[in-house]
Amino acid sequence: MNYEIVCGIETHVELATKTKIFCGCTTEFGGEPNTHCCPVCTGQPGSLPILNQKVVEYAIKAGLALNCKINTKSHMDRKNYVYPDLPKAYQISQYDEPLCENGYIELDSGKRIGITRIHIEEDAGKLIHEKGYTYIDYNRSGVPLIEIVSEPDISSAEEAREYAEKLQLIMRYIGVSDCKMQEGSMRCDVNLSLRKPGDPNFGVRTETKNINSLSFIQKAVMAEAERQADILDAGGTIVQQTMRYDEKTDSVTPMRDKENSDDYRYFPDPDILGFCIDEEKVEEIRASLPELPFDKFKRYINVLGLSEATAKQLIKYKKVAEFFEGAIAEGASVKNAANLIVGTIFSNMDTEEEKELFAIRISAAQFAALVKLADEKKINIGVAQSTLQKMLESGKPVEEFIKPEDLVGISDEELESLCKEAIDANQKVVADIRNGKDKAINMLFGYVMKKTGGKADIRKVEAMLRKFIGQ
Amino acid sequence: MRTGISELASKLRKREISAVELTKTYIDAIEKLNPTLNAYVHLTFDTALKAAEKADQMLKEGDAPLLCGIPMALKDNICTDGLLTTCCSKILEGFKPYYDATVWEKLKAQGAVLMGKTNMDEFAMGSTSETSCYGAPLNPINTAYVTGGSSGGSAAVVCADLAVYSLGSDTGGSIRQPASFCGVIGLKPTYGAVSRYGLIAYGSSLDQIGPVTSSVKDAAIVFDAIKGGDKRDQTSVDYDYGDSLAERLDRDIKGMRIGVAEEFFDGINPEIKYKIMEAIALFEKNGAIIENIRLPALKIALPVYYIIACAEASSNLGRYDGIRYGYRASSYTSIEDMIVKTRSEGFGDEVKRRIMLGTYVLSSGYYDAYYKKACLIREEINREFDAVFEKCDALIAPTAPNTAFPLNHKVTSPVEIYLSDICTVPVNIAGIPAISIPCGKDSKGLPIGMQIIGKKFDEATVLQMAYFYEQNSGIDVGVYEGGARA
Amino acid sequence: MAVSKTEIEKLAKLAKLSFSDEELERFTAEFDAIIAFADTINQSIEGGTEQIRSIGARMVPFETLRPDEVVPSLPSDKILSNVEGYNGFFGLERSKK
Repeated sequence: MNYEIVCGIETHVELATKTKIFCGCTTEFGGEPNTHCCPVCTGQPGSLPILNQKVVEYAIKAGLALNCKINTKSHMDRKNYVYPDLPKAYQISQYDEPLCENGYIELDSGKRIGITRIHIEEDAGKLIHEKGYTYIDYNRSGVPLIEIVSEPDISSAEEAREYAEKLQLIMRYIGVSDCKMQEGSMRCDVNLSLRKPGDPNFGVRTETKNINSLSFIQKAVMAEAERQADILDAGGTIVQQTMRYDEKTDSVTPMRDKENSDDYRYFPDPDILGFCIDEEKVEEIRASLPELPFDKFKRYINVLGLSEATAKQLIKYKKVAEFFEGAIAEGASVKNAANLIVGTIFSNMDTEEEKELFAIRISAAQFAALVKLADEKKINIGVAQSTLQKMLESGKPVEEFIKPEDLVGISDEELESLCKEAIDANQKVVADIRNGKDKAINMLFGYVMKKTGGKADIRKVEAMLRKFIGQ
Repeated sequence: MRTGISELASKLRKREISAVELTKTYIDAIEKLNPTLNAYVHLTFDTALKAAEKADQMLKEGDAPLLCGIPMALKDNICTDGLLTTCCSKILEGFKPYYDATVWEKLKAQGAVLMGKTNMDEFAMGSTSETSCYGAPLNPINTAYVTGGSSGGSAAVVCADLAVYSLGSDTGGSIRQPASFCGVIGLKPTYGAVSRYGLIAYGSSLDQIGPVTSSVKDAAIVFDAIKGGDKRDQTSVDYDYGDSLAERLDRDIKGMRIGVAEEFFDGINPEIKYKIMEAIALFEKNGAIIENIRLPALKIALPVYYIIACAEASSNLGRYDGIRYGYRASSYTSIEDMIVKTRSEGFGDEVKRRIMLGTYVLSSGYYDAYYKKACLIREEINREFDAVFEKCDALIAPTAPNTAFPLNHKVTSPVEIYLSDICTVPVNIAGIPAISIPCGKDSKGLPIGMQIIGKKFDEATVLQMAYFYEQNSGIDVGVYEGGARA
Repeated sequence: MAVSKTEIEKLAKLAKLSFSDEELERFTAEFDAIIAFADTINQSIEGGTEQIRSIGARMVPFETLRPDEVVPSLPSDKILSNVEGYNGFFGLERSKK
């Protein structure tokens, strides 16, 4: 295949506000059908929409985190189409004055994927088709969304996935959405066309709608690019149409389009006044942004001295990074804390979802208490790992498993004989120490600690060793 | 002149009459006249009597509001909890909202007694009330003529004294023109002065609820009661009107500057022009300064209005799909087919025409030439009015270029009827207040209406001028044989 | 500008309306008159390029927008009070004779 992929992604992200975009109904997921509803979100005649301030704030937050320019003047438009899940027969959205424009997401390679625009809009209800009947639940109707539209800067399936992954992570960091793709709180539409390398013109594009997992984005791009390449290779032409990705067959097939959906007759919603945001407010929102994943990643490497691989794993989940930083704040060492999280805690979590959820039974402070024992070499790493495992399983603090007597639980006689044994077995080291290489004494500590299973009091061991070496 | 709201209220407070007795009088009159006039389409006597009993309780306890126990009516496009609200359209057959419009909530809290919902053009689209799915209401002044529209029923019930006052809605003249045809008072407030929550939308940026009454003072009393900002309607404004407007009607018009624009008199029936000129002369004689002004953009206000109103309507009426309320086609092959059949069977011709026009002017390729252009001209019209109000306190114009049409008046094109809105639509486009007040009759004995137009939120001046005219012109309003208080 | 029957049919499809042949004839004729009437706005005043905002370009500051506070929703029997409900769902048969 000798084509270049030209791909842009439109992402719908459900905002984590308490109430819907135009009424005070809750946005809570689930619930009995039509119990999170009122005249406004079911499109009752005479009802009027009232815009939720938080929706605007969250959209601006998202825009700032994605390096966008914020339009301080904006308004809502109506997008008209008739469909049973849309109770007013129009979706209130933004057309020519989106809240945010001209941003970007930087990929690991340093390549920037442009963000064309971010606008706010409302979600539709849910249709269920069953045995000749269609049922409608409007609980989702009016839940706030932002639509993030990328430039067609994506040129591979891997980039598509990385773009979506980074977008998801940033949204989660700034707390505007949980971006659960399986629950539909983040959905992607992939626009894709092919062209010969060097061709300045775009080919005919297709839109693959409602992709609900990161890996499917990658697969869908691959499948659609292959499908288009096969057509072009055979001398055919691409038809501009809406597609669906089928994960079972790993293929992309045309979707029956909503009829007449090609002319939405956008116009400014006369029920909602335009709104303006002053620069100060934008700056206030900017100042409220937390450290973003990429900045955190750099800090973990440059300031905390972590490896790229470890840093990447820690920043990948907001709650993990918070837990890690919480432990550090409690006095745990960076290295031991990081390794115990990535090594021991993660080994208990099989899926991405579990890591994202990071529902563990101990607090960062309890974790730090354990890490500090290892830091102070009161226990060795092996003990730390096994103890952490027990703590995770039981939810009990470290004191439950390592008693003070465990740390000093070896008699002086035993310790003395072990120290002598260490000296006898390491004559060369002893000679080095006597010749002034004081650090070599660590070799002897290691020997004793190993023999005691890390339980010996390190200060006592040092005193004994020095006495026997004659220092 | 008929007994006004304040006199009735005083009788009720003094217990010379009870609210229940008053309500029963109105029930009797309605039962007698409504079968002929067809002014009410849904009667709510049961709830009216209960409301009257409650009102009597409030009156006994003292400190009852002015509107407590007063029988009134609402246009059928104003939502009333548990009571039919159908916009006189088959598509809203059987629709009972489970919420109240803000205006009705306010009046109900005052102890208002709702007698029923009044006839109107389907979805308020029309100038004769003949597009109602329940058939046209008849003009009580002469039943061979239409009431005007779209709030024809609201004007007729006040004219025939089947309600002390009523509320209508005005998108392009729908309160003022029927008030003029039926010889009563109709006030269209400033856009935003009264909450639209619960008013079933036609043209959202133009719609406004207002009172129809038999005196200027009553109009002021009702406006006082319904105005105010509403957190459920973002386009409403919590304007500070100061004290009650009904208490401030007396004002010396000496030195008041009244604008008269020739554009408002283009193509007006000469009889009407003559009466309006007479009225203007009365103001001048009493010391008002008459300014001849120009409003050149008015000549294209009518298409601008129809483009904007229909664009909004085509979107507002998309929701009538047979799924959540109202009429649903009985047989169909798919949901899509059900929606198309429901709408095609449920909407009348005029509504379909306006939905089609609205769809057209918003569709791709035509948006800039029609909808966008209309919005830009709307701005121009606003600027012209702003400039005029630099020099004038208010404007006087006819309410309509003609008096009431005969029933079933044949027209060659729907546009012919559209043209009769020429005097009223500029006011909606600019979002300013205006009142229609009777100023005599034509040679057929049909009422003529005069329009007094004011600045945004200056209902005070509009009402004061109307009050002056009412007190000094010697024209009787709402004299009707056979009404409730005959 | 005359509007063709095909265009009327396209508009009807967008507006979810259907017309019989006879109605279509009549509507097309009426619509021509209506469009000619709407076209009169093009006789004067050149259209500018400014953006159209909501009504009268009135704007409100961000601070006045609705605070994100939950208001209790209505029970589903109210929501469904104007239609036949199906265990709390709106619903309908996909075809009906």
